Amino acid sequence: MSDVFNLSLIYATIRSATPILFAALCATITQQADILNIGTEGIMLTSAFVAVLTSFMTGSWLIAILIAVLSGIVMALIMAVANIRYNAHIAAIGIAINMFALAITKFGLKQFLGTSGTFTSPDIAAIPRIHIAAFDNIPVLNEVFNNWCVTEVFGIIMVVVLWFLLFRTVWGLRVRCVGRLPMAAETAGIKVRALKYQVMIISGILGGLAGAHLSLGYSQMFADNITNGRGFLGVAAMNFGGMNPFLVWAGTLLFGFIDSVGSRLQSYGLPSQFVLMLPYVFTITVLAVAMWRKSRKEIKAKSAL
Amino acid sequence: MKKRLLAVLMGCVMVIGLAGCGGGTSTGTETETSADTETAADAETSGDPIKVALVYSGFLGDKSFNDLAHDGAMRAKEDFGIEVQELESGEAADWEANFVAMADAGYDLVIGVSTQFQDIMEKHCPNYPDTKFALIDGVSDAGDNVVSTLFAQNEGSFLTGAAAAMFTTHTEIEGVNEEKIIGWVGGMDIPVLHDYFVGFEQGAKYIDPDIQILQSFAGNFTDALKGKELATAQINQGADVIANVANITGIGAMEAASELGVYAIGVDTNQDSLYPGHIITSMQKKVDNCTYQIIESVVNGTFEGGTSTYFNLANEGVDVTDFSVIKEALGDQFPQEIVDKVAELREQIINGEIVVDYYEGYGDPANQ
Repeated sequence: MSDVFNLSLIYATIRSATPILFAALCATITQQADILNIGTEGIMLTSAFVAVLTSFMTGSWLIAILIAVLSGIVMALIMAVANIRYNAHIAAIGIAINMFALAITKFGLKQFLGTSGTFTSPDIAAIPRIHIAAFDNIPVLNEVFNNWCVTEVFGIIMVVVLWFLLFRTVWGLRVRCVGRLPMAAETAGIKVRALKYQVMIISGILGGLAGAHLSLGYSQMFADNITNGRGFLGVAAMNFGGMNPFLVWAGTLLFGFIDSVGSRLQSYGLPSQFVLMLPYVFTITVLAVAMWRKSRKEIKAKSAL
Repeated sequence: MKKRLLAVLMGCVMVIGLAGCGGGTSTGTETETSADTETAADAETSGDPIKVALVYSGFLGDKSFNDLAHDGAMRAKEDFGIEVQELESGEAADWEANFVAMADAGYDLVIGVSTQFQDIMEKHCPNYPDTKFALIDGVSDAGDNVVSTLFAQNEGSFLTGAAAAMFTTHTEIEGVNEEKIIGWVGGMDIPVLHDYFVGFEQGAKYIDPDIQILQSFAGNFTDALKGKELATAQINQGADVIANVANITGIGAMEAASELGVYAIGVDTNQDSLYPGHIITSMQKKVDNCTYQIIESVVNGTFEGGTSTYFNLANEGVDVTDFSVIKEALGDQFPQEIVDKVAELREQIINGEIVVDYYEGYGDPANQ
């Protein structure tokens, strides 16, 4: 078992949790304003493609991230306009965005990169990894903290930033107020629509980062539907964490942990079907627990009145 | 008014999105109609070109199995002036629909490009007695309008397994560790992949009975990141050579090997140059030749339903690459003994001195 539970598992957990973390934060910020962002998957997929394309063309990962974030914002704004301005149901527009992303990236792959299925190239500038030379000779620190991808560190910073924004600023208070009771917020003079647009833009930024990290940090390639449900896992983690960035992060770490342990267990002859089932069993359990907690909270809140 | 306009627009977006997902089906019908209108004109002048449909259980661009079938079909298109239609889909639910759509559309030859079409063909082929069918990578006894082709992936994998087992002992090569552990990443847990693995394991154990092989399945052929994760886990557990049999998922596995400075083995196509210097060799499955030959047989009128062809080392239906890319990258460090030994084993398999095990339902149909 020492080959399954060892020090490298810690970093493996972070590595597989980070793409889900960005997605979960992308869903968290909108959920606080009562917008269920199932378009996370589509935002992520589009920006993953845009990131690879820009990185390949310009050779700069920084420009690639910026353009990916921009594309994330565009996708989020499409949803925002449809939902906020024209009252389209958020679930419908979310599904539409996901399908659109699948198609547009497939098209873009053929049109701009002249290939289909997958695109890999040594010319794709990857997001650099942070190598701390001082850790080289300290076994534990080296194994756990060295060679993190820049976006992996940034993801953790974003957790704190988002928490601060939501729970320690006036703006955050207003967002949460809009999420709880939009009518009351409007009566209090809060511009609900403007706030919802702002929230969607931030969600686009986070979704864009999620995509860029997936195709330039976690790997250096683009493949059709490279997200493969990671955006939806993010939405599940957001539910698990009850919209609190720290709990959401904990949720994604759990997902990452299960995934990493699963990957390692398979090599030890556990049936693949069983191991591959684990993340889904876990997702259902997590959602059930989240629902149960929510309903208990509501009962408590009601009994206080 | 504006709202109604938007609703219509949204409807369009959804429909386009759905069409994109269904992939082939819509394109299928399109060609069908255009072909119908042409038929009348064509029939008078030059006669119909032979129409061939390829149905994939995945997508093109896998730089592997599907792309090979595509190459073969394109070569046939150039040589024989046939009409080719290709339907791709990653969704199991679409495979049957796509296949039936093509059979319905009156194609002369419908090819199911993957063992996944075996059951589908058994169910539907008898309903279309005038259409010719071919199954690549599986045996179908669906009727006398169906040909099957089978590959001896176990024989090819025997050689790559042996190569991996030898490579992992050469600790003087950068990235190769002391431990005699090699990894194997598969796509879906389906019989044909076990046929690969049986050969790979036997080949590795033939060289070194004590070798440890880590085996993982990703559960799909399309999630490159999952492949990368599985390969990384195996590398963390001491594997320094990772063989993949996983199409797009496998590209992720090979990326992991190249990123972490270890080595990988390609599959189906010659993947040696995908991550130069990190791919030792590739187990080639000549799906392109096979597809070409099937189409050729229809063009020449030699198509013989109810038969199956076995592609193995002896008739060069499977093979390993010549190690040239890794040789160039490693220079003098590359152990020549691997190439020599693999060539020797190859001869021994061909002349029957070594009998490679196969998974249930595979192996040469002539011997069963």
